[in-house]
Parts: sequence; structure tokens; C-alpha cells
Amino acid sequence: MRSSISLRTSLGLARQTERLVPRAEALLALGLSVLAFGALLFAWSVGGFEVDLPWAPTLDLRLAFTLDGLGALYALLASGVGIAVFAYSIRYLPLHLAHMKRPARDGRSFYALLVLFMVSMIGLATAQDLVVIFVCFDLTAVCSYFLIGFERAQAEARWAALMALLVTGVTAVLLLLAAVLLYAELGTFSVPELARRAEPGWTLTVAGVLIAVAALAKSAQVPFHFWLRRAMVAPTPISAYLHSAAMVAAGVLVLGRLYPLLAPTSALLDGLVVIGFASALVGGMLALAEDRLKPILAYSTVSQYGYVVALYGLGGAAGATAAALYVLTHGIAKSTLFLIAGAVTEATGGEDSIQRLGGLWRSMPVLAGVSLVAVATIGALPLTLGFFADELFFKAALAHSPVVVLIALAVATLTFVYMFRFWSGLFLGPARAEASPLAPGLVVPPALLALVLLVGGVAIGPFEELAEAAGQASIGAPAPVEAAYHLDLRATNVLALATFALGGVGLWLEPRLRPVVSGITNLGARLGPERLYTLGLRGLNRLSDRVHDIEVRDLRTRVAGVILPSAGLLLLGAFVTPWAGRYNVGEISLDDAGLVAGLVAVAAAAVATTRPKEHLGLALSLSGAGFALAAVYALLGAPDVALVAVLVEITLSLLFFVTLARLPAGVLSREAGLRLPRGRRVRDTLFASAAGLSAFFVVWSVTSAPNPESPVAPELIARTDDAHAKDVVTAILADFRALDTLGEITVLAVSLVALTTLLRRRPA
Amino acid sequence: MTLPTRILSRLLLAPLLVLAVAMLVKGYTDVGDGFAAGVLAAIGFVLQDIAFGHREAEALLPVRWAYRLALGGLALALAVAIAPMLAGEAILTHHPEPGVSAVKVGTLELITPVLFDVGVCLLVLGTVVSGLHLLAEAGQEDQVAS
Repeated sequence: MRSSISLRTSLGLARQTERLVPRAEALLALGLSVLAFGALLFAWSVGGFEVDLPWAPTLDLRLAFTLDGLGALYALLASGVGIAVFAYSIRYLPLHLAHMKRPARDGRSFYALLVLFMVSMIGLATAQDLVVIFVCFDLTAVCSYFLIGFERAQAEARWAALMALLVTGVTAVLLLLAAVLLYAELGTFSVPELARRAEPGWTLTVAGVLIAVAALAKSAQVPFHFWLRRAMVAPTPISAYLHSAAMVAAGVLVLGRLYPLLAPTSALLDGLVVIGFASALVGGMLALAEDRLKPILAYSTVSQYGYVVALYGLGGAAGATAAALYVLTHGIAKSTLFLIAGAVTEATGGEDSIQRLGGLWRSMPVLAGVSLVAVATIGALPLTLGFFADELFFKAALAHSPVVVLIALAVATLTFVYMFRFWSGLFLGPARAEASPLAPGLVVPPALLALVLLVGGVAIGPFEELAEAAGQASIGAPAPVEAAYHLDLRATNVLALATFALGGVGLWLEPRLRPVVSGITNLGARLGPERLYTLGLRGLNRLSDRVHDIEVRDLRTRVAGVILPSAGLLLLGAFVTPWAGRYNVGEISLDDAGLVAGLVAVAAAAVATTRPKEHLGLALSLSGAGFALAAVYALLGAPDVALVAVLVEITLSLLFFVTLARLPAGVLSREAGLRLPRGRRVRDTLFASAAGLSAFFVVWSVTSAPNPESPVAPELIARTDDAHAKDVVTAILADFRALDTLGEITVLAVSLVALTTLLRRRPA
Repeated sequence: MTLPTRILSRLLLAPLLVLAVAMLVKGYTDVGDGFAAGVLAAIGFVLQDIAFGHREAEALLPVRWAYRLALGGLALALAVAIAPMLAGEAILTHHPEPGVSAVKVGTLELITPVLFDVGVCLLVLGTVVSGLHLLAEAGQEDQVAS
């Protein structure tokens, strides 16, 4: 293990010092994020924008986007953090792909998905139509599936990707359900309109709960928090983007956007407070018990979004503005920390546990300073944006009740402790792992983000305005924010000081309390919701396997599974249709001799198919039946159908020959020599006879009744000449019903693509 | 394959292709259409594949292009379908409109449905040739491997 690490270190060193030309897709993604950020900033500075286009007017769907305060905050956060993440990836991704022995072009899908993610996030932030919100919400889930599963060769990554998709995707359906419910009651999907029309009542309560569950799962709140920990298998830039400022932020964004629909139900808000604080505590505990860098940050994210959810639950102007500022602060700080975690792991050759790291401030002082800023922000120290976020948090708690204040204090203390444990574990103490020098490309992006946090800590102005505007968009009324440094003993300051003091004590006590903390978290791992998820998924898999086994054990069972039920239904239909005038035996004249001969030939060929043992004979007798049938069509006066029948029959025969040629000769002769057990033979005969009889009776019944005059056929024939055609069949296929043809040929093309993919992708 | 099969397959290719083109061109006045023309032409190619083996067929004929031909056919059909929408008309509106006289080449009137039919023909031709060729190829590789 030791030697492999040092080997990777030296490789990493060699690669990091060599010159690197950024790939085009990386620059494109970076350019797009800068463009998006710049455009959003400009649009916001001139008062936002409003787009409202019809999408599906008959369904009342509109592509409505508004850049209001809430939208601006989340969109700027997504695109701004996006800039840092893309800039970081220019350097990080080539190293990562080289470690994983993957070609550099695999980076294309990485950037494409991240950009798509950014766009859907900006769409979600500004969307004003519930269905558009749902679509963007789901788009982020789909992108995250591919991004978390980026290392698709690893089973762990695939499991984590599926987990994230199932937990956030299945619950997202609840959002759609809520949208439909609200539409049925209030007649609109437009969020501002819904906010105006919403009246407290059962519908609103149920819709509110559905929305809240979808949002909480997305924001990785208890009891859905487990997916976020697993999602840490994703490459660092993905975690830095999705699991700090974007994917998980989408949940609380929906809470903020749809707050007017949640607020009338006070029990729901209380529930949010409970779940928020529970997540904050559980996430904090888990972060404290964890030793690996990214998992600590993941649990910290659970905890921090717990703050935000609780703040929305506390409600009112204070809650909504504090939640907005919190999301902004946390998003920037957490992505900084993720980028730093990635850089540290890169520099130390794959080391990611604070138990085996330490003393890194000597070899990477800049990184230590940058991460201190981010840690201090989440720990809410003064001179960072985080201080103001916590000030508003305490203010909202004070406005509620003393119990909430106590819980808030406990949560803030816990945050302080695990955050500084993380930092000191990395940078203080004895040096346990050697670190190679880092490329500037891995240090500058997090440093820039940290700079934003420091600027916010000194000049809160623009951030305050954004939070005010976001709060106003949530509650629909002016939401003033007064965040400033006050050198007095007001309640929020006392609470902040108490947090620091208690946090200091906590840091001192932490090593002694470790057994307790890990005991609690171990219990949670054994009995927690992740276990429920695993059991549920295994059960579903087993059920699906059972059904699959019954239905498609072999070709005969499969065919029987289709023909037997349809035969039963057809017979039932033939039986219940009035019998009068049916099952006639008409007259046969001498002119029909050819037709009868053709039908006899079809019947003979059909019987003949039951005889041959070897496969080629079987295929030939089958196509014999087909050709005889084509002759019958020709005699019935349907030359087009006859032509197609002949051509299809030839193609099918060729397909049979080619497929048979694929199989090794030994297999075919062995198969031909096999005899089915008697029971199976009787069963198959019975099934086949039943199917044949049902078809016989239905056809007899249909053909004995006179054809009802269809008004369509003569009309089509009359119009054929007008449509520049003499042949009505061609006119129907290419003109009158060309849309059908278009659909059919599309299916044909799709099946060709599938066939090609299946046959080309064979192991060498 | 035996010599007579090879000779017959080779002799049949040109007539089959001519027949296919005829069927496509005459489709609007007589039996046959793009689908039939595509299948007919495809049978001509697939016969070579079976008689000579996929390697020789590949050397002889542009079989490798069949896949692209199929997608190109679909693109052509889709283009004919969607183009009217750009002008604000319903999907698959054909031109010249019913009753308006069109340019004639022999019995063939130059109207957009013919273009659509050509798309169908190319798609069917490409799909059948490409699909059967892939199966034949995979089968022969399997036998070499086993």
C-alpha cells in the first residue's frame, strides 16, 4: 500500500509539473459559465428580466422565467461557483483521468453534463411555472446520475448514482403530483398566480407535503441524507459543484420558490423546523464521526441545509432572508472546501483521511489559509460572510421561542467543532503524509471563492441586497435585512460568542467523546434509512427476477405467454358477439379455384412446419407458408400487399439463414436431436391449437359478415388523382398518412441503431 | 457457397437494382413504393453477402456505408416532414398542392412525397443491408473464434 502511494505521488508530481494545454471543451465550458454569470449579473443589475412564452397552450403550460431576487441568488450562485469549478477542472480532470487510466476525451461528457446541469439549475432558479420547475428539477437529477456515475467502471459509483437517482428522482414525481393537484383545484400552473389563489385547505396541505418531501430528498435531509454520502465517489469537481451549491440547493430553492404554498399550513412549517434541526444535528454528528475528507464535507452539507430548511420552517421575513443568505454563504464556502479536499488528496497521492494527514500548513500555506477562510465561514467567525449568516439565523430563532434558540446554539456549536476538527486534522499537528507541490490551477479557483467570502465579511452590502430580494420573492412582501457588526452585547452577539466558547470546549472534549459519537453513528448505520433503501431495492430486484423467470424462461414460454391470453380474449370476444349472421359458409364458384388452391397451399405449409426437426427445414417451410399467402393476396386483387409480402418473406428467410449460420453447427444438430418431454409437447400442442382455433373463429366471424361501407376508402381513392398519384397505396403511405410512415421508419432506424450497438460492442 | 450460387447472385445484382429504381420511379402510377424498392435493392446486396462472405462483399460493395445511408434516409424523410413547419404550415404538407400541376419527367411527377419516398427507400435499404451484414459478420467471427 505504502509503495503504491509513493508511486502515485511521484507520478502525480511528474504530471503536475509538465505543461498542460487546456482542452477545447474545458475552455468552452469555462467560457459558458463566465458568460452566464456575466449575463445574469448584468440582467440583475438592470432589474431582472421576465420571459413568458407559450409552451403547450392547450395544456396551459408556459415557459415562464423571471429573474427575481430568489432566481438571481441561486442562478448567480450556480454560475459563479460553476466558473471556479470549471477553472479547477482544467487542471484536475486530466490528472484524474490519467489516474483512472481513461482517455482524455472522456472529459467531453464530463463538461457537457456539468454545463447541462448548470443550465437546468439556472432554469430552475428562474422558472415560474410548476411544470417547468419539475422538468428542470428532474433534469438536475438525470445529470447527477451520470455525473455521480462518472467512473462507470466502478460498481460503487454505479450503485451511488442509482441511489441518488432513485431517492431524488422518485420523490421528484411527488412534485409533479403536487402540480397536478394544485392545477385541478386552482386551474393554473403559474407560481405567482397560485400564490395569489392559494387558500388554506386539504388540497394545499397535501400538495405542500408532497412538495416538501421532494425538496427534502433533493437537499439530502433526514431521512434521505444517505444518498449524499454515497455520492462522494464522484470526482471532486462534481462534488464541489453538485453537492454544495447546485443539486442539493435545488431542494431548498423549491422550498423558497413555493413558500407561499407551504406557509398557510402551519403544521407543515413546524415539520420543516423539526426535520431541518434533526438533519443539522444528525449531519453534524456524522461529520464529527467521519474521518475521510469528502464524507465529512457531505455530512456537513446535510447539516447546513438542515439550517436552511429549519429557517424556512421558522418562516416570515426573518426566516426567508436568513435562509437565502445561508444558501449563498454555504454554497461558496462548501465548494471551496471540496476543491481544497481534492487538491490535498491530489498532492498527497490519494490520501483522504484526516487520521493519516496533518501538518500540511508547512508544505501548502496558501491552501491552509484559503481553507481557514472557508472553515471560518461555516463556523461563523467574524470577518467572513458566515458571521452575518449566523447572525440572521440566531435572529430568526430568537423571534420564535427559547427552545429553538437552544437548539440553534447546539447546532452552531456542533458545526464549529466538526469544521475546525476538519481543518486542524488537515493542516495542524505532525506531518503524517508527504505532499508534492500543487499546480496553481488547483489553488487559484478555491482562493478566488474564499476571497468572495472575505469581501462579504467586510462589505455585506451586495449580499444583503440579494438576500433581501430573495426573501421578498419568497414571502411576497418586503423583507428588510439588517446585518452589521455591532460592538455590543445584543442577543445575537451573545449567542455567537457562546457558540465560539462552547465550540472551543467542544474541540477540547472531542477526542474524549469520540467513542460516544461513533457509537451513535454506528447504530444509525445499522438501523438507519439506508438499510431500508437497500432492503427495498433488493426486494424489488428479487420480485422482478421472479416475474422475469416466469415470463421469459425460454422462447416457448414467452410465445405461450403472448398467444394464450390473446387467444382467450379473442375467443371470448367471438363468443359474446351476436351469433346471428356469423359463421356462414358462403358459396364457392369455379372462379375461386386459384384462391382455394392458394389457401390449401398455405394450410399445407403451416402443417408442414410442425414436421421438420432440423432448423433449416423449419425456416424453409415457414417461408413456404408466407409465399403461399402472398399468392393468395395477389389472387384477391391486392398486388401491393402481395409484393410487400413476397419481399418481406424473402428478407425474413435471408434473416433466418444468416442467423442460423451464426450458430455453431454442433449446437444446431444437437438441438435438432433433442426431444421435449411428453408433458411439454402436449402442453405446447394445446396452446398452439387454442391460438389457432381462436384465430380461425374470429376470422370466420369477421369474413362472414358483409363489409360495412367505409366512407374513408372511396374518399381516399377519389383524392388520389388530385394528389398527383395514380396508385392509392403509395399516395396513402407517402402523403395521406405520411405521419404514420414517418413514425414507422423512425422505429426502424432506432432498431438499426440498437442492433448495431449490440453487435459492435462485443468483447474482443 | 457453391459456384452456381455465386454466379447467380452476381448475375442478379444489377437487375435487382434496376428493378428497385423502376419501382421507386413508377411507384406513383403503378404497384410498388419506396419501401418495396428499398427491400428489393437490399436483397440484391444481401445475396452477395451470403454468396461471397462478408469480407469479399465488403471489398466489392460499399456495404460499410449502409448504416450512414439508413440514417441519411431518415434525415431526408424528417427534413421533408419538418420543412413545411418552418414556413408555418402543418407537418408533412406536400408541394405542389393538390390540383396544382407539377413538372413531369416521364410518368413521374416531381412532388415532395416522392422525396419522402426516396428517404423511406434509402432507410429501408440501409437498415436491411446493414442489419443482415452485421449479423453475418458476427456469425463468421464466432465460427472463426470457436
